[in-house]
Amino acid sequence: MKSLSLAGLVLVLFLAGIFVYVVEDVPAFGDAKSPANRYIALFSIDAAGMVESLDAGVVPAEIKSRTEAMGFNRENYFPTLEEGNYVIARNEEDEGWDILIHEGEIFFTEPLKYYHVKEAEGKLTIYRYNWPVRVMEMTEEETGTMNAVTSGLADYRGYDTMYEETVIFSGAVSVVMLLRKRGRL
Amino acid sequence: MSHGEKAEKEATGPRSTASPAKKEYKRDIIIETTAKAMVPLILLFGMYVMVGTEGTGGGFQGGTILAAGFILYVTAFGTVKGRERMPESWNAFFKSFGLYLYNGAGQIAIIFSLGAAQFLNYSAVWPLEKIVGIAVTRGYLVAFMVSVGIGVTVMAAFVSQFFDLAWKEEDEAEGGEQPC
Repeated sequence: MKSLSLAGLVLVLFLAGIFVYVVEDVPAFGDAKSPANRYIALFSIDAAGMVESLDAGVVPAEIKSRTEAMGFNRENYFPTLEEGNYVIARNEEDEGWDILIHEGEIFFTEPLKYYHVKEAEGKLTIYRYNWPVRVMEMTEEETGTMNAVTSGLADYRGYDTMYEETVIFSGAVSVVMLLRKRGRL
Repeated sequence: MSHGEKAEKEATGPRSTASPAKKEYKRDIIIETTAKAMVPLILLFGMYVMVGTEGTGGGFQGGTILAAGFILYVTAFGTVKGRERMPESWNAFFKSFGLYLYNGAGQIAIIFSLGAAQFLNYSAVWPLEKIVGIAVTRGYLVAFMVSVGIGVTVMAAFVSQFFDLAWKEEDEAEGGEQPC
């Protein structure tokens, strides 16, 4: 019995050590650069004369036509870059431009961040910047799971699900402690 | 005189309260037959839902369906027979075993990569990856460790709560004895 308790203590200490070791892997709260929040590169084009246009707040026609040709158009229920429904903001942190689009929602009137443009070596690279679209497009490549909900539940948000399970476990243990008589195991 | 009254009370008291408590569990042939037919199907369906993470399944739903199967059995056959089928020691084991299974899915990533990979980084499980490939490895780990861990914990938690409440009702029906 004594050796069994000792083995149990060693096991618990080992698990606790692994838990403490694991803590440093938890991503920082609201980390915008965590893998799930990065952009997806769409395409890159020559930057001839487009930087000034972007600085002036106008999306060049080529970017508009290329994004629509990639499937981000009205037929697939994506908002397009029409004149007047987008805002271009300079993103100093990432050294690029964010293209925000008014989706025409009634209750959520703020523009949503849709594209991100970066300039490097005379080329402009266009990135996609929307979380649900990212899940739809990248979940199979990143997690290997066909199901986007499962990848969100068990892969991207694995910590959340693990401690949800812990909540259920501790609820059951509390009920046992409150209601059960002694010696009824 | 008082002594005689007390003795009389003691003689009659337990008998009057013991007769409903010792009453046989009322058997109902229809309910028992239906439960006998349905419980295996419910348990099978619960297991199918529990590991079906490629579709709409998942641990929480599957665990709830499994618990519903056990609860149907207990409702039909009584708590005494139900306790033989699902002993409380199993319940207590399953409750923490599911949690350890989920944590183990995260920790084998660390153990196999010797501390190089993150917790819950399923790609680092290289022995399985060498055999079936990276995508299938992640699918297997999510389906058979994470979801089964969640399902087992949820099932044991629900069943143990159900047993606790059922026992409490029985104790109160027996003699109004308050559990300490």
